[in-house]
Amino acid sequence: MSATADSATLPAASLLTVRGIVAGYGSVEVLHQVSLDVREGEIVTLIGGNGAGKSTTLMCISCIVPLRAGEIHFAGERIAAADGGIRADRLVSRGLVQVPEGRRIFPRMTVLENLMMGAYTRNDKAAIAHDLERVYTLFDILKKRSAQLGGTLSGGEQQMLAIGRAILSRPRLLMMDEPSMGIAPLLVAKIFEAVRELNRGGLTILLVEQNARAALKLAHRGSVLETGRVILADDAKRLLDDPRVRESYLGE
Amino acid sequence: MKLASARFALFSLGQLLVLGGLALLPVVDLVFPSLQFAAPSRTVIVFAIMALGLNIVVGWTGLLNLGIAAFTALGAYAFGILTCEIYPFQVGFWWGVLLAGAFGAFAGWLLGAPTLRLRGDYLAIVTLGFGEIVQDALKNLEAVTKGTQGINPLPAPTLPGLQFSSETHVRWFYLYLAILAVVVFLCRNLEFSRLGRQWFAVREDELAARCMAIEPDKAKLKAFAAGAALAAVSGALGASLLSSTGEPGNYDFQVSILALCIVIVGGIGSITGVLIGSIVMVGLNVILLPLLTQTLQRNGIGSTGNVLTSPDNYKYLLFGLALVLMMRYRPDGIIQTRKATRK
Repeated sequence: MSATADSATLPAASLLTVRGIVAGYGSVEVLHQVSLDVREGEIVTLIGGNGAGKSTTLMCISCIVPLRAGEIHFAGERIAAADGGIRADRLVSRGLVQVPEGRRIFPRMTVLENLMMGAYTRNDKAAIAHDLERVYTLFDILKKRSAQLGGTLSGGEQQMLAIGRAILSRPRLLMMDEPSMGIAPLLVAKIFEAVRELNRGGLTILLVEQNARAALKLAHRGSVLETGRVILADDAKRLLDDPRVRESYLGE
Repeated sequence: MKLASARFALFSLGQLLVLGGLALLPVVDLVFPSLQFAAPSRTVIVFAIMALGLNIVVGWTGLLNLGIAAFTALGAYAFGILTCEIYPFQVGFWWGVLLAGAFGAFAGWLLGAPTLRLRGDYLAIVTLGFGEIVQDALKNLEAVTKGTQGINPLPAPTLPGLQFSSETHVRWFYLYLAILAVVVFLCRNLEFSRLGRQWFAVREDELAARCMAIEPDKAKLKAFAAGAALAAVSGALGASLLSSTGEPGNYDFQVSILALCIVIVGGIGSITGVLIGSIVMVGLNVILLPLLTQTLQRNGIGSTGNVLTSPDNYKYLLFGLALVLMMRYRPDGIIQTRKATRK
């Protein structure tokens, strides 16, 4: 894949650093010492099976699930730690934006209103209009459907809407939780192509996926999560060739 | 769908039509002196303000509140204590109404803070319980609330150079209509405000709202306080109208349900719908049925003594019938806002 740029050419500055985080729900510990870092300008994917802790990792980064140990730094600021962090609703204005799992668009708002909800924290009208144009260029179907209610879109279109909405929050790091879930393969390809396009434009992306092959082809680097531990972290190309990954996640 | 340019107008076309229609009622009274719409319509307005408050909570934020009458009661009693001559405050009608609204907002916030993390049915049960508790508290705090006697007499509205009394009910009606217009204007502005968008987002999907940097708990608390404030204002206006808070039992579960029916029958989430709902539901009760009774009695058919020929006894039958027909033919209310669609 041509877009899987050589990671050596990327700037080394780390935008997101997750260091040894432990988290869980009630008496169940889900993450045991997960570490991860995402550098400015790259696509990093977190793959793994059901219950591996992928979504919990994202919830921790979003400051929704509290940490029991470890630290998370974003753009040089400590956003989460065992002794507390910043409030979840303050993250968006700092540029940490999540596209939640299962799309979660606002069904009784129009496509345009959904998109404008993404710009909720902003008041730079000209820049918002510019970003809206960008989203419409990326997903032309959204422009066609802009007056339609979000709930009437197909699954794939809703996913595009969810991504577009996140773009309007002006992210520095976009976190996507399983964007391919429950979507027709043709549309998945389209959505992944859009993710690549966004990255080319300079956006840093953390992609959580079950569709390991597609995610690794798209990403620069990847981490494999298994029962709450990172068992492999490497260049995405090398992970694609790794026999353990091939056997467990690529069905070969 | 509302046009982007329409939001800068004072009222939407529907709201203007309903408010304008109400404004014509005294003229109808002049033409047909036997009707007398204006005086009972003040009650319709009082209920409309309460239902507009409930609409913020139920219609816009998606929280089921079954105890809105408690806030109406608190507003009425706050107004009573602040204005009645047997208490030392005697702040007068206008301050009484405003402070009652502020007290209602505070009470809404107080109830909301510990309970809004509850979801759906659980929140509904808490609000239901709150409605009962407030009634009992008002009944038993006799030293302050005069128990079942209610607080009276309470002042009528005052305006420089104008007297308000039972003889000047047309003037009184127009004053209440003006207050309703102000409330509608405020609600309309809220609907298009940042806060309104927060409420809609929370109603649609809390997690997604969180991803947009909205804190659902705070948004819900604000909705609860705003709704309670309007309910309290309506309580104050109603108390002034009766010149008494009435007994605490006047603010029972039935009243909360009537307010909910107004919102649902009128069209949940639509200001125009809530106005029409108030006219239909409350108008049936305070205008149409008494009128029917009167007409029948004048023609020698009905008497209050006869169970079968007194239209008042058919009230709940008509009510039920209306609800069943609505469910069957217009489940989204008289004024339909956006239809619920598949997720």
